[in-house]
Amino acid sequence: MGKLIDISSFDDKCLDAIREVGNIGTGNAATALSELLKRMIEMDVPQTELVSIYDIASHYGDPTQIVGAVFVRSSGGFGCSLIFIQNEDDADLMVELLLKQQFGTHIPIDEIPSEMRDSALSEVGNIVLSSFLNAINMMLGTQHQISVPGVAHDMLSSILDVVASIYGQMGETALLVNTELRVEGLDEGKISGHIILLPDPDALELLLEKLKVV
Amino acid sequence: MAENSIVLGMADLLVVPAPVKLITLGLGSCIGLVVFDTFAKVAGMAHIMLPDSRGLKGAEKVGKFADTAVPALIEEMLKKGATRPRIRAKIAGGAQMFSLPGASAEFLTVGAKNVRETKIKLQKMGIALVAADTGGNKGRTIEFSTSNWLLKVKTLGKGVSEI
Repeated sequence: MGKLIDISSFDDKCLDAIREVGNIGTGNAATALSELLKRMIEMDVPQTELVSIYDIASHYGDPTQIVGAVFVRSSGGFGCSLIFIQNEDDADLMVELLLKQQFGTHIPIDEIPSEMRDSALSEVGNIVLSSFLNAINMMLGTQHQISVPGVAHDMLSSILDVVASIYGQMGETALLVNTELRVEGLDEGKISGHIILLPDPDALELLLEKLKVV
Repeated sequence: MAENSIVLGMADLLVVPAPVKLITLGLGSCIGLVVFDTFAKVAGMAHIMLPDSRGLKGAEKVGKFADTAVPALIEEMLKKGATRPRIRAKIAGGAQMFSLPGASAEFLTVGAKNVRETKIKLQKMGIALVAADTGGNKGRTIEFSTSNWLLKVKTLGKGVSEI
């Protein structure tokens, strides 16, 4: 990693530009998820956040809460990591919803083998995250390769250690783009999932340059 | 005397006299390093995030990196009455939370590097490592109690063990 830009010194103009990228990614991710699940998706305006690496887990909730997460790496012009993260209950509901969509019958989560659960979750995460990335790279005119997704179920704080290990080596601030998608579940009530974008520091440089912010 | 429970966050480092319970929640790739001297009745913990400070200085917390946390923790122990030959160490953590077949990214294997660097640093300082629960792909919550000098490790789906 050559020269590094100082993330902690980003002003509102930079953060707004990055949020706009998040917005475009989120729109595409919501469309793709809607096509996959054949349901309407609600999305929030993404937040671009500068968070102390020491407070990341508590920033998103109770550090010990159990979450389901899908993680991918994208290399190429806009290098970044992406996480699709849900409360474990929401992840289970999402799996039920996808399998209902695909098989036509509702199978309760307890009757779904864990490999099938993870593969369904990974499919949802992969579609959401790769659509998000496609839109960003299209906008920036960059090429990218996306990794096979990794799935984990664990404490929020353990999962988000990955954020600290990306940003910790060069400082004490992480830059995250965070957005929430919601879809109506099989029962009443919404299933929620968060997309967290973690741009590589040199990708931020490229992005701000392309958007002519710096 | 009642045990006082203290929860350490990311990069925190602390040495306190017994009785005390030192806790770290949800270690993923991070390391919980415990040191103690049962004679001087003092214990310390560090929540280490990364292996190597690579010369980074300034506002960084010493507990953040293995290469800075280990010496700082030992120094703090000595100040509080411990002697080096009596200090024992235990570690937990250093998991790899995500495996991405075919993808290479340095940070994915940071857990194993944290374990390695912490062990090397302890060895260099002549500190005996008496127990370790490291690696794997699950997060850990740890509690060290000076009532029995044991480190309780809770892992999702695997229950609780004491080392």
